[in-house]
Amino acid sequence: MAGDHADRPGRVAARLALATALEARGVYKVFVARREGRQEGFLALRNVDLDVQRGEFLTLIGPSGCGKSTLLNMFAGLVLPTTGRVAHDGTVVGGVNTRVGYITQDDNLLPWRTMLGNVELGLEFKGTPPRERRERALTYLQRVGLGGFEQHYPHELSGGMRKRVSIVRTLVDETDDVVLMDEPLGPLDAQTRLLLQDWLLRLWEGSGRTIVFVTHDLVEAIALSDRIAIFTRAPGTIKAIRPVPISRPRDVFRIHDAAGFGAIYKEIWEDLAQEISHG
Amino acid sequence: MVDETQLRQIAAAAAVAAERRERLVVTLLQMSLLMAILVGWTLASGRLVPQIFLSTPLRVAAALVRLVANGELWYHVRFTLMEALAGYALGASTALLAAVAVSLVPYARQILQPFLVALYAVPKIAIAPLIIIWFGLGVLPKVLLAALFVFFIVFLNTVTGVQSVSRELVGVAAVMGARPPRRMLAIVLPSAVPYILVALRLTIPAAMIGAVIGEFISSNRGLGYLINAASSRYDTAAVFAGIFSLLLVVVAMNGAVGWLERRLLRWRTT
Repeated sequence: MAGDHADRPGRVAARLALATALEARGVYKVFVARREGRQEGFLALRNVDLDVQRGEFLTLIGPSGCGKSTLLNMFAGLVLPTTGRVAHDGTVVGGVNTRVGYITQDDNLLPWRTMLGNVELGLEFKGTPPRERRERALTYLQRVGLGGFEQHYPHELSGGMRKRVSIVRTLVDETDDVVLMDEPLGPLDAQTRLLLQDWLLRLWEGSGRTIVFVTHDLVEAIALSDRIAIFTRAPGTIKAIRPVPISRPRDVFRIHDAAGFGAIYKEIWEDLAQEISHG
Repeated sequence: MVDETQLRQIAAAAAVAAERRERLVVTLLQMSLLMAILVGWTLASGRLVPQIFLSTPLRVAAALVRLVANGELWYHVRFTLMEALAGYALGASTALLAAVAVSLVPYARQILQPFLVALYAVPKIAIAPLIIIWFGLGVLPKVLLAALFVFFIVFLNTVTGVQSVSRELVGVAAVMGARPPRRMLAIVLPSAVPYILVALRLTIPAAMIGAVIGEFISSNRGLGYLINAASSRYDTAAVFAGIFSLLLVVVAMNGAVGWLERRLLRWRTT
């Protein structure tokens, strides 16, 4: 069940005293762009309030351009709110937030590094000694079924494998107890996508980590999440937050048959349909 | 029933044979073209054009043999090669450092842009006499000229390469905990390597041009001097021999950079 993950032993006990991992309060974001020679402001987010509970899998869903990725980038500290407050463990995020893991739609692997070299990258940046980071990367790759390809370059791997490497590269740094994922499975074909959803759930379940996941695929959102936050169309604000009443562990391949799937699908689809039909 | 193993082997062998045939045809046609040029040259010389302007392939070969045999060629090649290589190394390394510095310091690129474009637009040959005045007649002014010919291309290409880096990738590295200098070394510069290598290849002949121009203007050694001196004696065969030697040196340097490129870009294709 959703709340159970918060009770599992985490690695930073003091921080775990807080039930809220991430919060957004009254967040507005104006992007400025030059249009016809004039600077014009564009409201991307309007009065966003959100609490992400520690250990939960929360998905942001909404029509394209609704600002869900912008909110994710704010949690990563790559974009700052125009007004309002974004905080991680109660501390305001005022610049790059190195305490989260961040996974983008593009795998962003370094093409000149092998799979192993790519997985070691984050540990390298955080100053883990070479021996230790090699060992940890190798162990992790073995554990997630990527053993045997350590010396391959990204262009030698399939899209699905590159995606896995990109996710592993982030998860291997276990000091990050929050992981942000921006449509990570977006570019994959339908079957690979299902396989990776299953793989991702297995990796996450029991890890105690908090995941904020962005997608525009409602079935994917239901299959993975504890809660789903639905965005309005731009300027985006959170319209509703709905818990997914499907028990874990889940079978993503047969999620349509799970008890409660039909009801939650219908409910969220109603929320979304209004936003899409208006656009 | 078809033997599938045999079928695959036959198809593979046919592909290998086709490839070999294609390579053979290309090589043969290249040889024929070269022969045609040499024959055409021989025939034209003395008939269409006075021999004193054109010489003949045989005379050029004889001049080359003479220059090699008396050690003169190697003596001059050594100077030109040394000047070009030193200038190449100096120009390329300062250009790389400058490009990194400009990319790290805020506004530096915008501020320097118009000045650099203006400097780049000045024909470097026009600067050569000035450099000779400042640095005299030795090896140094030739090295500096070669460096000047290399610097701008490597600098501008590196800056372009640095700017072409995916901002998202840099953002990902930042969230992973990489500080700006680290991002430059681990992400940005390696991303710019293809741009840098293109510049390094383009500037090989440029370095030679710089060195030879320096020798043309004032020198008593080097291939530029050899060509210049031979032309003032109307020894066309020796002029061609000098040009031919320059060509060989550039081809050899290209080969070296090609090797470097294959090593550094191994991750691109197998």
